[in-house]
Amino acid sequence: MMAAVIFALGGGMLIALSRQVNGRLALQSSALESSFWNHLVGFAALIAITAAVGSFWPDGVENAPWYAWAGGAVGVVFVAAGSWLIPRLGATMTGALLVAGQMLSGVTLDVLRGVDAVLWMQIGGVALILGGVLLARR
Amino acid sequence: MAVTLAPSEVPPKRLRALEIVLALAAGSLLSFMLLCNSSLAAYGTPLFSSLTAHGVGTVVAGLTVAGLWRWRVRPVGRRGRAPLWAYLGGLSGALTVLATSIAANSPLALTGTLALGIAGQVFLALVFDAMGAMGLTRRLPSLRDLAALAAILAGTGLIIAARGMGA
Repeated sequence: MMAAVIFALGGGMLIALSRQVNGRLALQSSALESSFWNHLVGFAALIAITAAVGSFWPDGVENAPWYAWAGGAVGVVFVAAGSWLIPRLGATMTGALLVAGQMLSGVTLDVLRGVDAVLWMQIGGVALILGGVLLARR
Repeated sequence: MAVTLAPSEVPPKRLRALEIVLALAAGSLLSFMLLCNSSLAAYGTPLFSSLTAHGVGTVVAGLTVAGLWRWRVRPVGRRGRAPLWAYLGGLSGALTVLATSIAANSPLALTGTLALGIAGQVFLALVFDAMGAMGLTRRLPSLRDLAALAAILAGTGLIIAARGMGA
């Protein structure tokens, strides 16, 4: 369990690390170029990892719906946005506002798809996040 | 080895509304990205899902960079190439999927992994800001920033818990 906690915390720290490094690259190129290098280098690393321990075509993956293959295109915009934002807002506010946006759209999606959740906690959460965003505006 | 910013690049002290709106919009894209990627992970494996997302992302970003090359704006006041390590952000991105898929398969499940991941991300971001890590501007959060952060994190915790306690 302790190991799992470390992996979960570490996963989040790796996200902060890559955003910081990509933001530094964007200063001397552009946000879009840093997103390109992020994906290319990550792709090369994942090819190596897959060759060692994974499969390049897991059984049944051909049955996945079309949108399952589209995540990478969205990721390009997301990483570019992070690289553009981090020199402007700093790492903390960039991370906090990205999480805020993720939660707001996540609640919307959950409500639209009828996912079971405690409604008053969702409403309270949205209110707190909107309050935080207003505070961040100054 | 902090690189000093040209005056035209020094970030404004006040957070601008445009930047906040853009950050919220980009963050909201993440829900759709995770929906896509977790669907592919369910039909295949998390590793295959990340491999595919990075491959598709490389092609899409490469085509976009090439298509916009004519209109490229040279960064002002920043001559020369970025250091080699600045190109390696993708490495930690690639390792993220391994760390989080191991954690999600533990008793922490998706909910606990998400909550702890956000905690880890914010903690390291605070450290990076305080240090001015990787040559980005050093900055200490104001009380107001910390209050905003606390409200956003509290709301995030409530929303994550709301999903965990439904059903």
